[in-house]
Amino acid sequence: MNTTTTIHVNRDVKAELKRQAAEMREEFARRGTLVINVLSSPGSGKTSLLEATAKHWHNRRRMAVLVGDLATDRDAQRLAPFCPVAQLTTGGACHLEIPLVQRGLETFGTDDFEFLFIENVGNLVCPASHDLAEHLRVVLLSVTEGDDKPGKYPKMFRTSNVVVISKSDLLPYVPFSVKAAVDDARLIQHDLRDFTVCSLTGDGVAGWCRFLEETREQMIADASASATPTLSAREPLAR
Amino acid sequence: MHEASLVRSLLSQVSNLLLEHNGESVEIIRVEMGPLSGVERLLLEIAFEQQVHDTLCRGATLQVEEVPLSAVCRDCGDEFDIERFRFVCPSCNSTRVRVTGGDEFRLLDVDIQTKEEALPR
Repeated sequence: MNTTTTIHVNRDVKAELKRQAAEMREEFARRGTLVINVLSSPGSGKTSLLEATAKHWHNRRRMAVLVGDLATDRDAQRLAPFCPVAQLTTGGACHLEIPLVQRGLETFGTDDFEFLFIENVGNLVCPASHDLAEHLRVVLLSVTEGDDKPGKYPKMFRTSNVVVISKSDLLPYVPFSVKAAVDDARLIQHDLRDFTVCSLTGDGVAGWCRFLEETREQMIADASASATPTLSAREPLAR
Repeated sequence: MHEASLVRSLLSQVSNLLLEHNGESVEIIRVEMGPLSGVERLLLEIAFEQQVHDTLCRGATLQVEEVPLSAVCRDCGDEFDIERFRFVCPSCNSTRVRVTGGDEFRLLDVDIQTKEEALPR
């Protein structure tokens, strides 16, 4: 004779992955490494922004880049003259996940970085659903993409901390309003910080770098103030 | 998003529950999804049908509960549902809102069949 029993769970199916990401985030914070997940459509200027960032710091800051692409190591080759870089070739995968990040980290042979950038696969959809243990999620929007994009990709903008409007040198030539784009994004995520940059000319790069430096200092202060080590140093993914 | 891998994870979690509870079989798996869970219902159900037979959950039914995207206003405390991804409080127009539901894919509960212990004579 069989009976039916109901087992109550009420748990996020991805709870274990999220716990793992939170643990890694905490460990990075303890080591003083600010992890930045950089996301955008293909061709919005993620690699260019990281090149400009590395040039701005010019070895004054220890940064490394994990760069994800479906194929080729072109982005890694571009960044290699400036900083340690590991190419994560995903085959067909349209986003990065933590095991790929871990594998990439192993290739560095050191974890002594102040800033670890994870340049995600160009895609405004799937990467939004994957916590890579980052402290900051940064979404780029280039001015040629149109200022109506944030509302079309709500999960990406909702879960981001920063929006970077890129290719600002093209503003005179395209019908793009920085204010309209940022306002649209803030309807989705009130707390978004915004930067407008041109990586080619370096416009706005200093302010972006200063923000990263301040965020890292704040992270270190939070991590050392955190009395209970089980607390995540910073909750990056807004709800 | 990636319904196939989510379903794989779901079925593995439910299979473990079945083993932990010494169950015979799984009858019903109830899950919850919302507008920001990154899950498309039709693709979820297809992925479930494709995978369930090859697991300890074979024969189980998937029940999907769709919930709205819900939020609480950080300024006035009003609780409301977010329509068309406009994260704006209907009471005070504040955009400082915290999402409280509808952004996850949750396993709610599972009905399993267990063998009743033989009654002592």
